[in-house]
Amino acid sequence: MSERKTIRIALTKGRLEKDTVGLFEKIGYDVTLLRDKGRKLILEIPGADIEVVLAKAADVITYVEHGVCDMGVVGKDTIDEHGGRFFEICDLGFGRCRFALAGKKGHNFYEGIGVKTIATKYPNVTRRFFEAKGMDVDIVKIEGSVELAPLLGLSDGIVDIVETGTTLKENGLEVFEDVSPISARVIVNPVSMKLKKEKIETLISQMENNL
Amino acid sequence: MKSFDLITPEGTRDLLFDECIVRRKEEQKLRDIFTSHGYSEVITPALEFYDVFNMKARSFRQEIMYKLIDSKGRLMVIRPDSTMPIARIVATRLKNEERPLKLFYSQNIYRANPKMAGRDDEITQSGIEIIGGEEKRSDLEALSLAAKVLNSCASSEVRLEIGDNSFYKHLLNKLSLTDDEEIIRSLIESKNRPELKRYLDNVGADGEYARMLLDLSGLFGGEEVFSKAEKLFAGTPLTDRLNHLKKLYDVLCELEDKDRITVDLGLVNKAEYYTGIIFRGYIGEYGQPIISGGRYDTLIGSFGAENQPAVGFAANINAMTNVALKNGEKAKNNNIDVLVFARDGYLSQGIKHCKQLIDSGLKAEFCTCENEEKAKSYATAKNIKKLVIVAENTEEIDFIGGQNK
Repeated sequence: MSERKTIRIALTKGRLEKDTVGLFEKIGYDVTLLRDKGRKLILEIPGADIEVVLAKAADVITYVEHGVCDMGVVGKDTIDEHGGRFFEICDLGFGRCRFALAGKKGHNFYEGIGVKTIATKYPNVTRRFFEAKGMDVDIVKIEGSVELAPLLGLSDGIVDIVETGTTLKENGLEVFEDVSPISARVIVNPVSMKLKKEKIETLISQMENNL
Repeated sequence: MKSFDLITPEGTRDLLFDECIVRRKEEQKLRDIFTSHGYSEVITPALEFYDVFNMKARSFRQEIMYKLIDSKGRLMVIRPDSTMPIARIVATRLKNEERPLKLFYSQNIYRANPKMAGRDDEITQSGIEIIGGEEKRSDLEALSLAAKVLNSCASSEVRLEIGDNSFYKHLLNKLSLTDDEEIIRSLIESKNRPELKRYLDNVGADGEYARMLLDLSGLFGGEEVFSKAEKLFAGTPLTDRLNHLKKLYDVLCELEDKDRITVDLGLVNKAEYYTGIIFRGYIGEYGQPIISGGRYDTLIGSFGAENQPAVGFAANINAMTNVALKNGEKAKNNNIDVLVFARDGYLSQGIKHCKQLIDSGLKAEFCTCENEEKAKSYATAKNIKKLVIVAENTEEIDFIGGQNK
């Protein structure tokens, strides 16, 4: 780390990566290597002191927390689910969606005295949401399409990311309640923030000014 | 039943050979710094009652403590921290000792971290506590020792960062937001300005105090932070605290390379516990602070004694060891000079011969192999340059590069 004077930024592969590369281009960085990357995972921005690393969302947090990457772009959904020790400096505004509690259309979720079962890919977010309500729930972790769980009768509801709500609608489900908003965030390792303040602040203000 | 007898629990590890030597060296280095500055060591038990760590002014989150139950059914923890046990001692056995007390410790703490995050659950911490001293002088003494510890790390990138959480506490009181403390604290700690803005707007907090609270997390860097903060806090009681911090900063800059001293007014960790300055030490090779400390004037009072001014810090020896090893710190050559093999019937002579060699200043090992052949191959494998065979006619065999000369 001490040898590395460049800023290393980890991007969440996929849509956030594409949007961030677009943002870099708007700032005026040469992004040809980022666009034409093949299978490479560590990429350079020619003429700038910036190295780009491509990783899965949760890994972006891990790399930043350990300081092997100085910064990262990651969704608030992943931050809420994984937590960690880093600075969350800015909201890039793209990748916007929300966590919501949903279930079968017309069903009154809060009815009755039984303990509810919730299926989700985000057990920590779900637990915190219901803890704040003082409500005991059974949480079942599902890896794939969570919408199936209430349809098959496994759960009373789901907590999941909702963008347009189309998938819910097509499966006869609806949003009962919003849990929290989601968008892409810039996170920074706390030691890097202090040791490379100028470079990091410059890059962040460039990003903010070009949103 | 599945057995776990071949591995160590997650977050713990065995240290071998060079790792031990470097670890002990780092520990000893700090021990020397502390004792030469007049600090006395205390060792506290690894097992403590849960209550020591579970009161308002000293709350540790339950889930990060390893717990046990004693024979009377009382809840115990494996110490997650050394300062609280020391505060317990200060409030009890050291109640009538001459103040100020200058104490140091070097012992393991245990925390149940989230799994698979690559964090240590068992950490050796060395640190100091100054109890009952005058504020300005004690703060300065603690900071200058922290700087010494940082400078002892062979790293080109070193920062000692100072802050003070009274700014944050004062603003929270002014805004009557003490109920929302935990959320606001974590937003400031993570420098999450956009989210904090949203939160303050939501609870209807506005005006100059809200603006000050919002700007707090951005107030970090070098000397320029003070002039920014002066403008921001003008006309409030916070200027007194700012002056205290500025004075410390100025004196530190006289003592240390100015580039190595930074300020962050957004340091708000452990807000229920720290009551004044907070500081941290960073080195470029490690992604989290390696030194963490601050002032905690109400902690000792929470153990039933009078409140006493106190300041201290802890250094993470695990991190310092890892960095030293990564930087190629080699343990001093620990090779054995001579291997002594005694033939049957000459065992006592062998032991005596070995002792003579050791007394003459060499490192000698009494060979516990069953015959000379084994002794030779052992010497070759361990790169021992000389083998002495003790018998009727004691002979010396030199190995160079593992070859029989």
